[in-house]
Amino acid sequence: MSDFSVIGKRVPKLDALDKATGRAQYGHDLDLPGTLVGKILYANVPHARIVNIDTSRAEKVRGVKAVLTGKHSGAHKFGYGGDNTPLKGDKVRCRRDEIAAVAAMDDDAADEALELIRVEYEELPPLFSAEAALAPGAPLVHQDRADNLFLRYNYAHGDAERAFDEADEIIEQEFFLPYVTHAAMETSFALAAFDLQNRLTLWSTTQIPFLLQRDLSEALGIPGRDIRVIQPVIGGAFGRGLDVYPFEPICALLAKYSGKPVRIAFTREEEFFATAARQPAHVKMRSAAKRDGTLWAREAHALLDAGAYISWGAVTPLVMMETVASLYRVPHAKFVADVVYTNNIPTGAMRGYGNPQSTFFVETQMDILAEKLGMDPVEFRLRNANVPNSETPQGLKITSCGLRECITEVAERIGWERRAGPNSETRLANTTPPQETLQIQTRNPKIKRGIGIACTLNVGGGARIYRSDGCGATVKVDDFGRVTLISGSTEIGQGSETALAQIVAETLGVRVDDVTVINSDTSVKPWDVGTHASRTTFIAGNAAWIAANEVREKILDHAAQMLNVPANQLEMRDRQVRVRGDGKGVAFDKVVRAMHYREDGIVVSGTGWYDPPTKLVDKHTYKGNISAAYGFGAQAVEVEVDTETGQVRVLKIVAAHDVGRAINPMYVEGQIEGGAQMGVGYALTEELQVREGRVLNPTLLDYRMPTALDMPPIESVIVETADPAGPFGAKGVGEMGGNPTAAAIANAVYNAIGIRLNHLPMTGERVLRALQEKERSAAQA
Amino acid sequence: MKPFEFFSPATLPEAARALADYQGEARALAGGTDLLIRMKRRQWTPRAVVSLNRLAGLNEIALNGELKLGARATLNQIIRSAAIREYFPALAHTARGMAGVQVRSLATVGGNLCNAAPSADMAPPLIALNARAVIVGVDGERVVPLDEFFVGPGKSVLQPGEILQTLLVPRPKENAFASYHKLEHRAAMDIAMVGVGVSLNVERSTFNVQHCADVRIVLGAVAPTPWRAKRAEEILRGNELTAERIAEAARVAAAEAKPIDDVRSSAWYRREMVEVLTRRQLQRLAETA
Ligand SMILES: Cc1cc2nc3c(=O)[nH]c(=O)nc-3n(C[C@H](O)[C@H](O)[C@H](O)COP(=O)(O)OP(=O)(O)OC[C@H]3O[C@@H](n4cnc5c(N)ncnc54)[C@H](O)[C@@H]3O)c2cc1C
Repeated sequence: MSDFSVIGKRVPKLDALDKATGRAQYGHDLDLPGTLVGKILYANVPHARIVNIDTSRAEKVRGVKAVLTGKHSGAHKFGYGGDNTPLKGDKVRCRRDEIAAVAAMDDDAADEALELIRVEYEELPPLFSAEAALAPGAPLVHQDRADNLFLRYNYAHGDAERAFDEADEIIEQEFFLPYVTHAAMETSFALAAFDLQNRLTLWSTTQIPFLLQRDLSEALGIPGRDIRVIQPVIGGAFGRGLDVYPFEPICALLAKYSGKPVRIAFTREEEFFATAARQPAHVKMRSAAKRDGTLWAREAHALLDAGAYISWGAVTPLVMMETVASLYRVPHAKFVADVVYTNNIPTGAMRGYGNPQSTFFVETQMDILAEKLGMDPVEFRLRNANVPNSETPQGLKITSCGLRECITEVAERIGWERRAGPNSETRLANTTPPQETLQIQTRNPKIKRGIGIACTLNVGGGARIYRSDGCGATVKVDDFGRVTLISGSTEIGQGSETALAQIVAETLGVRVDDVTVINSDTSVKPWDVGTHASRTTFIAGNAAWIAANEVREKILDHAAQMLNVPANQLEMRDRQVRVRGDGKGVAFDKVVRAMHYREDGIVVSGTGWYDPPTKLVDKHTYKGNISAAYGFGAQAVEVEVDTETGQVRVLKIVAAHDVGRAINPMYVEGQIEGGAQMGVGYALTEELQVREGRVLNPTLLDYRMPTALDMPPIESVIVETADPAGPFGAKGVGEMGGNPTAAAIANAVYNAIGIRLNHLPMTGERVLRALQEKERSAAQA
Repeated sequence: MKPFEFFSPATLPEAARALADYQGEARALAGGTDLLIRMKRRQWTPRAVVSLNRLAGLNEIALNGELKLGARATLNQIIRSAAIREYFPALAHTARGMAGVQVRSLATVGGNLCNAAPSADMAPPLIALNARAVIVGVDGERVVPLDEFFVGPGKSVLQPGEILQTLLVPRPKENAFASYHKLEHRAAMDIAMVGVGVSLNVERSTFNVQHCADVRIVLGAVAPTPWRAKRAEEILRGNELTAERIAEAARVAAAEAKPIDDVRSSAWYRREMVEVLTRRQLQRLAETA
């Protein structure tokens, strides 16, 4: 397909220079004249009745312009669970509950005021785990509910109960998954200003500008039409911005009561404890296979600690069940997930949205089943992999599917044949050159190597989580051939802006930098549900393509008249409209001018709306085709385990992902590498340590994301299957890169030391304990 | 940050006087990489801050007879110093393993020691190398073995008005080697779960058997202060260096540690790691000798 002039090219991001030189205007850079600093007082008790709040001393601090408590924020409820209020008036449900807020002239005055607010609590018995919250007689987190179970998901196909009786090999385990968090480079931000008509403008780091209008309208009790959301350049989000947070309506309330614009910029500590982490999970799971290598059945029960308030993170079981039921062909599957209220920090959506969790437990068991069957893990996966043009029992309509290619590619490139079998005496030879490191001494017999693999399935054609999965776009052209795309979608740093510009440029035969993308203001851009579910390139790309195509047809029509040839003989390339196979042509901008400067002239613009042909899953069975395309991937890793310290080092990652078509291979690689980096963190070092409802490590020092020095070389392999529904064949890739990494690492660790770690992260300490336990039980035997 | 008075004196006596005047409610400022973070979080609210950055000579590194390491020398200066790289490679190696490059260009060795974190990376190798601290106060100067400098978490022997001026480190003997190994969760930007500094002076007898003429084993992050594993040292000192004896010393060092559970590690793991890091380093130093 070298026929494309822009699609598939490694075009740098349109905003690369601005970002690299510090010119890009992030929220934190914004300032309006007279803007006040807003700050929030958090409860810091896990469960309590609020007896009294005394703000009198805080109000007297010089420079303080507003001090608000629950009585100012009213009773308007908001959030996915409809259970949250901006400031809490009567009850505290977790330590991060927002109790009071101040707006002041500067940080110091605001801090001073917060310190002077006195709150009297009457503490209530707290619930610090989902298990405790479900125990009979447990206190209620929300008084208006009968119990602490927010929701039970119950999915089944086939007959799992019977299937386990028929199976030849069965494996059953428990898994424990930690809190992890986005830790985006830019912390959360809001700047709120009211105009004299009482209309609110909110500058925000949100990923869902239009849904935020609705959420704010609910939280503040003002009409959505009076709320305008502007998104400055956003420095990463990873799902953080999928929910409205209390600080956003609080910011608006502070602006209302102080009569000034107010900004709230989270400190790094707040970013850790006051956004919504990926929920921890306790999962019981079993898998079964037939002797001939057929994957036969799967059953999983997940207990999810949602925290004190329900966010969109409560919906992640929908994604978990997809991996359980449809990553491979499995005739019998059952998945139950309980989403439970506790007095822990509220959890939410994070890149992968349930998938990194479920891929970890599903892919661990795939490995174990293969070993029990005496089959090679690669062969077992290939045998049960999905194939193109099939429908899973869950109702996923798989069209393009490159899973087998992905598996074969990574196995070959990692050197799978070097992998020692489970009972082999000679473990993997140290063939890759040792790297200089403080951590691990090389050529030490205490250091073992291993190789592992894991696969992933991810929605790649949007995901119908809301009733609409649509996005609007407008394309217009000016007299000089500058093309403007106004897209409803949201750029959070992923590069979607440029990918969309490439789609438009290809369609109109112009250069990428001829295209300006406008996508940051709800009063300008058409509607969209937001950036989530790896959907932007696919959905917003299709919308942009439809809009650009309307412009293309208008221009071709007119050029046909100018050139006196039928429109279907024309092509648009190199800023020209040309007769195909002939030199004759006319400049793109000239055609546009000709369309404007005439009596029956028209505006050269087009609009597009794309809502994929998918369905909301059935309310009771959870079945249905949720996405218009599915992405697949496989990752193989090589690790080194120091058996004396327990520390695991990843030496190499090979990642092959079926993305339909890479609109821009550089961004696809960026998503894969960034995903893998999050996956390495999930596997080895990242954990938000929450004890008794308190985040113990709310700093970048003690919440350990892998640094550049910790990351191994990543070889990204792009598998292209040209999806029939994708713009130029593209499918989403935003989340996939991080899904299989932890499982691949765990499988490699097993290959190295013969131990299964079902508890993430696999810290040195956990690995060492497991090694010692193994030794002890071997000694006893 | 709470408001505070700021001084930037040009001489040591003036600096000491300024600090003394506030009777414990003033803080010295070197690189600020510990101090400013605490002030921003309002954990520390000093009434005055006295910058050491205009004091001449405080950041010098010189080698004549022994190493004179100015307290205000930055970690990057230590990494780049030719004298340190040649005669005290363990110090350069330690500095390189701390924080990240930006922080290292501000952070000083004196700040690291005076902050007196149990995990301070510079302490174990400097104590292993037998360093002494030159302290200047309003009443003059005193010299304290670095071994006796630390009192508790965040506490040193420094009295209000006292400034750490220089570290004096004797040049290692012909057959003496030192190293520091830090166990961390990731390869950069991390605080030690355990740090072990070792210096080993080896003598060969007529039959080419290795003997331990002297040894120091200093543990970091496993006690309220950097901790000498003296019983472990005794096992080695004056004796033949065998694998068994090294292993025994490492076990004893682990037993001597007084670790706690915290967000970075459990006490159990810390103790286990003291043994591994001590054994590995003694072995490696014995091999090099
Ligand atoms: C991101 C990051 C990573 C870090 N990584 C590490 C690490 O890997 N290992 C590690 O050990 N530390 C680490 N630190 C902590 C810190 O950087 C070091 O302790 C550093 O050496 C402190 O030096 P400073 O000059 O910045 O001290 P400052 O912050 O200026 O001072 C620290 C304390 O010592 C006092 N003080 C400073 N100099 C003197 C003096 N000459 N006389 C008397 N009192 C004095 C100050 O009053 C203050 O109380 C890290 C810090 C950060 C922010």
